Amino acid sequence: MKKSLLDIPPGMKAYVSDITSVSAVLRRRLIDLGIMEGAEISIKRKLPFGGPLAVEANGQWIGIRRWEAGKIEVEV
Amino acid sequence: MIQVALAGNPNTGKTSLFNNLTGSYEYVGNWAGVTVEKKVGTLKQVPGLLIDLPGIYSLNPVSRDEGVATQYLLSEKFSAILNIVDASQLERNLYLTVQLLEFEKPLLIGLNMIDVARNRGIQIDYEQLSALLGVPIQPIVARTGDGCSRLPLMLQQSSEQSAVLFRLDYGSILEQGINRLTELLPTHTNLPSKRWIALQFFEENPIVTDLLSGFVNREQLLDLRQETERLVQEKTGARSLHQYIRQVRGSFISDIVKRSVRVTKQATYTMTEQVDRIVTNKFLGIPVFLLFMFLVFQFTFDWAGTPLSDLLDAFFTGPLAGFFEQMLTLAGTSGFIEALILEGILPGVGGVLVFVPQIFILFLIISFIEDSGYMARVAMVMDRMMEGVGLNGKAFIPMIIGFGCNVPGIMAARTIEQPKERLITTLLTPLMSCSARLTVYSLFAGALFQTHQALVVLSLYVIGIVVALLLAHLFSTYLFKQESSIFLVELPPYRLPQWKTLLRSTWEKGKGFIKKAGTFIFGGSVVIWLLGYTGPSGLHVDINNSFLAAIGGLIAPWLTPLGFGTWQAGAALLTGFFAKEVVVTTMNILYAPSAAETLQGAVANVYTPLQAYSFMAFLLLYVPCFATLATIRKEAASARWTWFTVGYALFIAYLVALVIYQGGRLMGFE
Ligand SMILES: Nc1nc2c(ncn2[C@@H]2O[C@H](COP(=O)(O)OP(=O)(O)OP(=O)(O)O)[C@@H](O)[C@H]2O)c(=O)[nH]1
Ligand SMILES: [Mg+2]
Repeated sequence: MKKSLLDIPPGMKAYVSDITSVSAVLRRRLIDLGIMEGAEISIKRKLPFGGPLAVEANGQWIGIRRWEAGKIEVEV
Repeated sequence: MIQVALAGNPNTGKTSLFNNLTGSYEYVGNWAGVTVEKKVGTLKQVPGLLIDLPGIYSLNPVSRDEGVATQYLLSEKFSAILNIVDASQLERNLYLTVQLLEFEKPLLIGLNMIDVARNRGIQIDYEQLSALLGVPIQPIVARTGDGCSRLPLMLQQSSEQSAVLFRLDYGSILEQGINRLTELLPTHTNLPSKRWIALQFFEENPIVTDLLSGFVNREQLLDLRQETERLVQEKTGARSLHQYIRQVRGSFISDIVKRSVRVTKQATYTMTEQVDRIVTNKFLGIPVFLLFMFLVFQFTFDWAGTPLSDLLDAFFTGPLAGFFEQMLTLAGTSGFIEALILEGILPGVGGVLVFVPQIFILFLIISFIEDSGYMARVAMVMDRMMEGVGLNGKAFIPMIIGFGCNVPGIMAARTIEQPKERLITTLLTPLMSCSARLTVYSLFAGALFQTHQALVVLSLYVIGIVVALLLAHLFSTYLFKQESSIFLVELPPYRLPQWKTLLRSTWEKGKGFIKKAGTFIFGGSVVIWLLGYTGPSGLHVDINNSFLAAIGGLIAPWLTPLGFGTWQAGAALLTGFFAKEVVVTTMNILYAPSAAETLQGAVANVYTPLQAYSFMAFLLLYVPCFATLATIRKEAASARWTWFTVGYALFIAYLVALVIYQGGRLMGFE
């Protein structure tokens, strides 16, 4: 079964397997930061009221929206 | 003379190095996207120019600031590139380096942040890395200047040599495609490296595609790309050509990183994680931000700013005025000159200068937010709310900068990716209460709201933000076709700002204010005083029969429903078009304080608190100053949107002030 970044508990490490369903501009930005197929990724914290997530990938921290994180597919 | 361009990922220390090598004081801050314009400086050690550019991830721009950097690199003449690489993020940074190497310009790498890398246990074999890439590398710490002094000579050397040949093998299919494309290109042009062009074209870089269609039939080009993509997909199983190219570069990079870097311990971000636990906490995030804002105002007004500015005020109205009076009597000047100086220039300029303490404290705090790394967190905490009004959290960064001055705030909007969100942010940033407006609040709050100064002023800032958010919602729903908003913000590790840097950037922001006092406000004082001194019936008229009274009287009736329908208020607001501080100047000249009063005291006799509050709200929202309008004109590249800003601002200001005054009266205030 396919898993998205939202399906893994915060703190657990996973590997990005597919970002093709992420919107084009955001995908560009993710790739710019080296967050693409094969990159190690984990959720660091979730902001309240459905706010963004702080995510760590390749040793750097970024903030992205929750529903967009749901489009990043990962493998554990 | 050499001419060197700085290129590198955002927030890697390019501007810090630029300042170090050129002795400038350009804008430095700990978030991605501080520099949004090209800046030119003269190198101190060798004859030559250094060009600071906005940060980029690749030569394929998304946002406008990236466009500025890419455009420069593609179309301007320079002798070498100084590529700043963040040693603590080596792999990611090297993607850009590879593309710059393919560009075939003389290149030198400044490997920055080696202090950070060292703390994280990242050991880099510089010589090995340099040998693998084929270019010289100089390890530096741009923040302190360590290792930087050797760079200028190295740059001079690099500029004199031709670029090293860098050739990454992209596999037979793509190499064939590259060859076929380069054969199509004319030989005698001043195009950059043909191989680079071909690769960027296959990566779908729109700038390069446009450039190419000037030489080659567009259809032929697209056919070639499609065919190559199909072959690559068949042979390698890659999803797209773009991804394939990225993959080849990626494996090249991870290979050289493996061979030149050793990680001796697990990275820890204890301080950053601890602080983030609080400032982006589920329950505390927004309260912490508001509390922080409140403390800012407490500090700016009650604790430090106002006591200091009272001292200044007492000095200006007491000893300084006395000193001028004596000097003028001694010099035997005419009554006219004496009045001009004592009743025009001194209260006009002095009345604004007394607020220097508040303004510098505000700038100090803004500089702290900028340099600590909190800025990106605010963007994150605010994103949920901003998403609700059709913007994203990053639009809050221009707004915070706008609290200092709207002009750099509007410029900062360049980093927002979606054009629609960028435009809305540009149009709404003027609603952020800038430091010039702070002088007016200080005047009124000091005179009329002595017990709750900080709270009153904070409420005005909140009005500005709330109105901006409501309008953002309105604009994004009705004015623009819906274009989904995106949000991604890099969260840099926190850095404790250095005192030196903080004071420096406070001064850089604040000196403009002092300069304005010496030029604009000085001139304004003279003109305003003259307009109040002269009238249709001649010189030295009663001020109520002056030209100024006539001009102010024209709009006074319109202001009556708002609670300040006097010609004085009208005249003051008119002069505020030039710069908001001039409102204070005008008021000080008009309500000429008698010798016993301080500058602020006089205002208290003329306004009730409700009228004053209504006036401040109007002043907050009405028409941006000239400098801001000129910036909007430039950034939005449209006269229509500039006029639109004037129009909506006047309308909203009138509405809000009307509600405040009439509502206040209904509730029994006067
Ligand atoms: N620890 C450390 N911090 C540094 C170093 N160089 C720069 N910084 C800090 O890194 C942050 C970013 O510096 P800038 O010079 O603004 O970076 P920039 O590359 O110009 O950033 P953009 O204009 O956003 O692309 C600032 O907070 C600097 O103080 C360094 O060598 N070591
Ligand atoms: Mg910069």
